[in-house]
Amino acid sequence: MNTVAKRQVMSLTVNGDTYEVLVSPRQTLLDVIRGPIGLRGTKEGCATGTCGVCTINNEQGEALLSCLTPALEWDGKSVTTVEGLEADGELAPIQQAFVEFGAVQCGFCTPGVIMSAQGLLNSFHKPSEDDINDGMAGVLCRCTGHIKVKDAIRDVVKKRA
Amino acid sequence: MAAKPEAPLSIIGRRQPRLDGFEKVSGRSEFTDDIRLPGMLHGKVLRSTQAHARILRIDTSRAEALPGVKAVVTNRDAPTLMFSEHQPVLAADRVRYIGEEIAAVAAIDLLTAEEALDLIEVEYESLPAVTTIRQALKSGSAPMHERAPDNIGPTMEKDWGDPDQGFAESDLVIEDEFRTPMQHNTLAELHVALADFSNPAKLHMYTPTQGAPLYQMELAKAFCLAESQVRIVYRNIGGAFTGRGRPKPHHFIAALLSRKAGKPVKIKATADEEFIMFRASGETFYKFRTGVTRDGVIKALEADITFDAGGHDEWAMILWLPSVYLNWLYKPVGVRYRGRFVFTNTVPKGSHHGGIMGRMSAGWQQHINHVAEAIGMDPAELQLKNAVDPGYASPDGSVFASCGLQDCIRTVVERSDWKNKYGKLPKYRGIGIGIGAQASGSKGADNDTSAAMVKVADDGIVTLYTGIPDMGQGSHTVMCMIAAEVLGTQPEDIRVVQGDSDITPFDWGAFSQRGTFTTGNAVKAACEDARDQLAAIAAAELDTPAGELVFRDGRVFAAASPEQSLSFGEVAAKTLHSAEGRFVMGRGFFNSPKPFGALAFSFGAQVAEVEVDPVTGAVALLKVWAAHDIGRVINQLAVEGQIDGQVFSGMSQVLYEECRVEDGLILNPSRLEYKLPRAYELPDVDYTLIETIDPYGPFGAKEVGEGPIVVSMSAVAAAVQNAVGAMVPEIPMTPWRVLRMLRGTADGSTSVDKHWSEGLEAPLSDTKS
Ligand code: FES
Ligand code: FES
Repeated sequence: MNTVAKRQVMSLTVNGDTYEVLVSPRQTLLDVIRGPIGLRGTKEGCATGTCGVCTINNEQGEALLSCLTPALEWDGKSVTTVEGLEADGELAPIQQAFVEFGAVQCGFCTPGVIMSAQGLLNSFHKPSEDDINDGMAGVLCRCTGHIKVKDAIRDVVKKRA
Repeated sequence: MAAKPEAPLSIIGRRQPRLDGFEKVSGRSEFTDDIRLPGMLHGKVLRSTQAHARILRIDTSRAEALPGVKAVVTNRDAPTLMFSEHQPVLAADRVRYIGEEIAAVAAIDLLTAEEALDLIEVEYESLPAVTTIRQALKSGSAPMHERAPDNIGPTMEKDWGDPDQGFAESDLVIEDEFRTPMQHNTLAELHVALADFSNPAKLHMYTPTQGAPLYQMELAKAFCLAESQVRIVYRNIGGAFTGRGRPKPHHFIAALLSRKAGKPVKIKATADEEFIMFRASGETFYKFRTGVTRDGVIKALEADITFDAGGHDEWAMILWLPSVYLNWLYKPVGVRYRGRFVFTNTVPKGSHHGGIMGRMSAGWQQHINHVAEAIGMDPAELQLKNAVDPGYASPDGSVFASCGLQDCIRTVVERSDWKNKYGKLPKYRGIGIGIGAQASGSKGADNDTSAAMVKVADDGIVTLYTGIPDMGQGSHTVMCMIAAEVLGTQPEDIRVVQGDSDITPFDWGAFSQRGTFTTGNAVKAACEDARDQLAAIAAAELDTPAGELVFRDGRVFAAASPEQSLSFGEVAAKTLHSAEGRFVMGRGFFNSPKPFGALAFSFGAQVAEVEVDPVTGAVALLKVWAAHDIGRVINQLAVEGQIDGQVFSGMSQVLYEECRVEDGLILNPSRLEYKLPRAYELPDVDYTLIETIDPYGPFGAKEVGEGPIVVSMSAVAAAVQNAVGAMVPEIPMTPWRVLRMLRGTADGSTSVDKHWSEGLEAPLSDTKS
């Protein structure tokens, strides 16, 4: 209640669409994306920056922990979430590879793991094994042990020209 | 009767990507926290800050006065609402652990609810606390419960076969002690419950679960409702790993708040609260004893286990689980088991992934290696020599109708090049073999049954109604494959209706590795029933006796004349639009004819190779060779995924996971400080599946959901034991413990406390000899 007074209007572009939302200083990007914007593909895991489940991509296409990012600092910027990877009704290559290689089990971590992998693929055209390990060190997948996650990433890399 | 599809099978055995994969990778999957009910409030729980105290006063008036607060509850609102026999849902006049539920608030948003919690005043009178097994068993320690003056809770003692005879026939009796710490399961999706009890005649509970019936029964009993007045709803579930078997206090509290506020209320764990809400595994002491002959025949096995139950004995099954496991690997003359719960002022305990047996086997396997060493035998050889085989009846009455354990051992020995490595690796390298067995759908209650229904639409699309939750293990895809095999369609043509106890038929749930086996048999029966109904019409159309029809690859035809066929959709349409207006509705049911225990068992062996760093003590897991007998493989891709996840979880428990507890407070309740392996630490896994065809399983299938983790934990622990040259007497085998072991084994001493029972005034137990 006492936080209402401090709320401010901000604008955030998510997956190319711009939203104007009323945000309190205590809210994170994750709160705003899942709350007023209503895109609940991004999940909230620990909400303390330790599991990577909430990972999205920033303007540069790099992985970003949305649960650790104060929303108001992102006024006027744009981000990509898991819902923004599809193009022309087709899943992105990393999404297809996750299905094909069995890199998804319960699926709760999956939006964050995929956005971490996408961040890696945005930063490196042909990531090495070390790049993949570094890029995926910030997310925790309890079900797959990351083994098939890495298979899926390697496959996308292999198919790149 | 329609003819069964003849081998080779057309669907079963393929690498089938998950049928819900598209939803899951695209952000379309709904989880409980994604559900927004109209008027929904947010609940928060006030927890004890004291390990042991009397509650003198609770004042909620300032919280109630805060604008936006819609309900505040304490024990006064529901003094008779019990979570378990001796435990109220909200503490009455005494708290027994840090984190115990005292009061709760529902408000229009989370921030208001949090603020309201701060306004509740609780006055405590501290009582002396015992926060470890050792403290609790010291004579003169303050009892935590009047019913347990010595702090010992439920106990179990049981012999199978004749262990005394077995020890008498042994040339050598080897004893070891082992300890596992408190460990926590770190589910991806934290605990969450959304209750709508605005209408006191019906409680709607939205929550991730391993099975609706136990939630329905326990909530109905607590709130004096009929089971039909409790509806359990779940969507996708972010893992379970034994952690969502039954309702926990927050489910009852959410319902209580909702009833009082007249609005739906959601309670969701925070990252640190999760460590209390989960009810993880507690500290456990083990004493192992094995009798063996000089030529390597295992004659008698004994385990004596002391569990930290925490402040209440919530989950008595933990006592019983490891006992049966001792019966399933070798062929002793007798088995002796003793288990006991000890109360401490810590959070009540449940189970970790691997269901107690995993943690135990990290020590048990090292103990068996110790036995092998004592008689100068290769541990792989000792285990192969004693391993159970098909048709064996174990002392506890389990009969292994199918059993590929010996083949699993031979396979991993060969694929890992064991004979050239064991005892021959360079210093600081180690190799270990682990074996294991697991029941497929062990029956623990009469209503441990599964039912399934299917209906068929006139375009050939099949709808399957099932109460088996898919927590990630891939059960729904497996059920669709079974259905498609029976009906001769494709898994993509089966729609699953799940997750609502008002709609789906009874299914005890995803416990005890019963999904593929028990629900799979029910789904198969339901589809056979539907197929028979379709066959009656197809038989007339094709002028063939129904019993000679084959349903396969989308066609229906006579076995003798496959060129003359109808499509499955045509048969469905003709049936539904027949003059009698026949509706196709198949029903199936499976209730194991065995009243207690399991009909089928899966088996496995793994070899792990490790390297320890002599400077830091860090252990690198280099490679795992896995061979598992899981009966007929239904979905190869999912099976590999299950094995991967269990290698991960197994190495995690053996090498990393530990709750650091001081004076009853968990010091590391965060995924940063509670360590799990990251992507780069995982080894390569070499898989071999030994396909025994089980006579009771659907298409011969058995479980793969929990068998492998026990084997992984055994193999990794054994490999570290081999690398450091002695039994590592506790997990996790963290760098400092490994370093202490290396120093101890180098100078011939042991610098690690191996004898957990020493110094306890109340002995853990006498060992008969
Ligand atoms: S939810 Fe953001 S890191 Fe866990
Ligand atoms: S798929 Fe379950 S945590 Fe990653």
